[in-house]
Amino acid sequence: MTRKKVKLAFITNDSARKATFKKRKKGLMKKVSELSTLCGIDACAIIYSPYESQPEVWPNTLGVQRVLAQFKRMPEMEQSKKMVNQESFIRQRIAKASEQLKKQHKENREKEMTEVMYQCLTGKGLQNLIMADINDLGWVLDQNLKEIYKRIESLKKMTPTQVAPPAAPPPPPPQVAAATCEMLARGVHGQEQKPAVESGNVEGMQRPQWYTEWMNNPNENLGFGHGDEMMMQFADNHNAMWSSAFFP
Amino acid sequence: MAKKPSMGRQKIKIAKIKKKNHLQVTFSKRRSGLFKKASELCTLCGIDIAIVVFSPAGKVFSFGHPDVECIVDRFFTRNPRPNSSAFQLVEAHQSASIRELNLQLTQLLNELEDEKRRGESLDLMRKDSQKRFWWEAPIEKLELNELEQLRDSMEELKKKVTNQSNNILLEIKPPRMNTASSTTDIRSFGYCDGFF
Repeated sequence: MTRKKVKLAFITNDSARKATFKKRKKGLMKKVSELSTLCGIDACAIIYSPYESQPEVWPNTLGVQRVLAQFKRMPEMEQSKKMVNQESFIRQRIAKASEQLKKQHKENREKEMTEVMYQCLTGKGLQNLIMADINDLGWVLDQNLKEIYKRIESLKKMTPTQVAPPAAPPPPPPQVAAATCEMLARGVHGQEQKPAVESGNVEGMQRPQWYTEWMNNPNENLGFGHGDEMMMQFADNHNAMWSSAFFP
Repeated sequence: MAKKPSMGRQKIKIAKIKKKNHLQVTFSKRRSGLFKKASELCTLCGIDIAIVVFSPAGKVFSFGHPDVECIVDRFFTRNPRPNSSAFQLVEAHQSASIRELNLQLTQLLNELEDEKRRGESLDLMRKDSQKRFWWEAPIEKLELNELEQLRDSMEELKKKVTNQSNNILLEIKPPRMNTASSTTDIRSFGYCDGFF
């Protein structure tokens, strides 16, 4: 099977055209047959070509007659509802391709502006952007912020006490510490380098006794890189406690 | 935002599909592909064809060139292909418009392919960047404090963006403050009553 792209136009070379016809006709008949078997439906195909005086058919003459009779029995409306010819079919394909192109444009634009957004986050200026870019950049920022707020919300809901590591804890809660180390290791750009432990939610939040105890017993389950385990143990504890203390 | 990878081409057994919705989906896709192949055969080889297909729900789909009715009649009456000059004229007309449509379609398909490739390379770029900078990682992967930092940075950037957008708009509107130059500006723009 050749993988060269064939131009969608009449093949002027006679022998090439005949060869293409033979191959494609065979393939087409096979496809009709497969469709019929796979889906358990009735179908027929009739092909008139300059190469044969009689039409080539699938499944066979009798089969075609049967299907066409069935077809003719249907009300006119039903027959023509899904009837197409070359012109209408190609128009349908054009409409579909246009839709897909529009969608792909939009996706690519979003991807492009996301790149711009990240560049601007690291200090690139906005002066070279035209109004359309500025608008789209704003849109992308909003989309991302929406997702971030949602995620922050859900994280806070899951483990509320973990939200607020105290300003200078000795030592800091493992997952925050791990994050800090990770951040430094990955070489964070200066602009966003705020202290990881800065968070205002501590005030006003009652910390269960076990939290204070755990904070004061750092040796128990410490270890950077064990962030997940930490979360798990923490979560287990906290579920038990939370159900009694905060969700009676 | 990334596309979920599909299963790719799988070899299937040619026997009636068991699951109903799988059957429906297959019918839909294959019928569409079948008509596409028929259309291509017409264009490439200049033949006449009719395909009639019944859906699992009992609806009928048909494709025909020059049209289904004509082919069905020809089949039943065993008449040869019409040869009148009137017929040939009509046919020439149709061929011309079909040629146009095919050109248009080809162009669109090429554009679509280009855009898809562009999308793929943008995806690659994104994947690359994600590995390098923690704040470019997908949001689900970020820790809470990272999210909060990112949020703050983005909010700041958003302010700058709003600012810049206002600046650009102000550049279009003539400034009102400078009495010296503003009179000429306002006159030439003709915004005098509209904006202020």
